[in-house]
This record gives sequence, C-alpha cells and structure tokens, in this order.
Amino acid sequence: MKREEILYNLRKIFKDDVIEVVDRSPKRVYIEIKHESLVKISSYIFKDLKARFNTASGVDMRNHMEILYHFLIEDINLLISLRVKLQKPKLEIDSLVPVFEGANWIEREMHEILGINFKGHPDLKRLLLPDDWPDGVYPLRRDYKEWDKNAIRDRGV
Amino acid sequence: MSIKLKALLKSPWVFHLSTGSCNNCDIEILDCLTPRFDIERFGMLLVGSIKHADVLLITGSGNRKSMERAKRLYEQIPKPCLVVAVGECALSRGMFIHSYNCPVPIDKVIPVDVYIPGCPPKPEAIIAGVVKLIEKVKKDTMKK
Repeated sequence: MKREEILYNLRKIFKDDVIEVVDRSPKRVYIEIKHESLVKISSYIFKDLKARFNTASGVDMRNHMEILYHFLIEDINLLISLRVKLQKPKLEIDSLVPVFEGANWIEREMHEILGINFKGHPDLKRLLLPDDWPDGVYPLRRDYKEWDKNAIRDRGV
Repeated sequence: MSIKLKALLKSPWVFHLSTGSCNNCDIEILDCLTPRFDIERFGMLLVGSIKHADVLLITGSGNRKSMERAKRLYEQIPKPCLVVAVGECALSRGMFIHSYNCPVPIDKVIPVDVYIPGCPPKPEAIIAGVVKLIEKVKKDTMKK
C-alpha cells in the first residue's frame, strides 16, 4: 500500500475515532485519536498494515498527559505516531499487551515514572526504579517534589 | 614499606566500574589501555574481577541502584586498596545533580582517594592522576 492510501484508509475506517492527522514530513505522520479507540486502531496498524511497534513515549504536558505510540511501516519508511491525550485526574488507558507483547515493558516504565494506569496489563509492577522508592511518587511528573531527606543537592564548594 | 603496599604500588591492577555514566569516561579509560598511551608501562592492567584488583576506578553519576552494587564491590576488594573517581559525574554528579535518581555523590558512599575532573578527562589526565596517587601513597609510607 502506498502512503496516501494508508492515510486515506485510516481516515475513512476510523473517521469517528481520529481527531486530527498532522502530516509532518514524508517520513512522519502524527495521528491524534480518542483514547477509547486506541486498541482497535493500533491493532489495525499492527496486524493489517504490518507495521512494527517501535516504542511509546509519555509526556506530562501540565494540563494533560500525552502518550505517543510509534509504529514504523518499513516497506515505505513511514513512522506513524498515535497521539493519545489523557485528562489529568483520571490517567487510565487500555493496555496494548494483549495485541503485541512489545508494549509490556514500556507500559510498566510509563506506569512507574508517570503514574499512568494501563487497564488489562498482565503484570503491572516496577521496572527500573529501586525497591525503596515510595509508592505514589512519580519522578517525571511536573509536580514532582524531592522526597528523599538524605539527598544532597549542592556541590560542596 | 610493607610488602603488601609495595606490591600494590608496583603494579596496581584496576577494576573499572561504571555507575551509570554516558560511556564517554569509559571510552577514555579504554583509550589509556591502547598502545598510544599504554598504561601497562606503569604496571596497570584492567582486570575482570574485583577480587583481583587493587584500584577501583569509578565513573558515572552513581544512581540509586548502582550505588548499592558499588558498595558491595567496595566490600569485596582486597585491602589495602585505592579508589579513583574519574569524570565530573563521579566527582559531583555534573549535570545530574538535581536528578531524582542521583541523591548523593559517590564520595559520600565510599571513600575516594583521587579525583580526576573533566568531562571526559583526557587519557593524559587519567594517567597523571593515577601516577600522582601512587607518588602520594609512596611518600606517605616513607614518612612513617
């Protein structure tokens, strides 16, 4: 399938779920979607378009939390980024692990670092943070405050 | 000079530990071992196990998880030993000083004998630092 064809099909099949399509460059497309329809769109891209799941990235944008799921269609060298916006108090989204296993660890990392809850994830435990890290403290959120009383933050000169 | 200390200073075997660095200091340390700088002429050799080592060479900013391991390695190194911190991160955590994962500098966790600043330090600086350390230890023991 050609690039234009893929974008046209995505717009046509998911016309109620796609909010915005940003055509950045020949290699890059951002598609903003509703968070309820993430599983259905990403399984279409993964299974029908034969895309590879690169990774996902979560960003705290002050008013909302944003997750970008990056898919690469290697035949035509097109990187599709699905953008999902989550409104602040309720940070919940469906897990993509039932669709592809590659989402497992990145969802665990986003869970521990940004505090996003992935519904349907088989084993949502800590990945990288140390064991003595307190619960409910998420280091990459904008409102993160120093919790460690023993931390030294000056250079000693 | 005791035989132990003499053997330590004659050919200090080095164990290289990276506590979460960007690998630039590690590349410079590997540079020291290449024929151009050839640190083996001072008897220094990189060893694979901490139990064979006399010198613990630390790079990186020392994050929460790796400092546990560094502490454990320091307990296992045969004493008397020397600890060398290489690079700005190992000295004062550099740009990671406010990072949530780097609460304390390395020298608050294990005693450091010599600091080699630079981001990354040149191989010449690393060699100079280690030679200075050996000289200093020699001089201190002569006095006693």
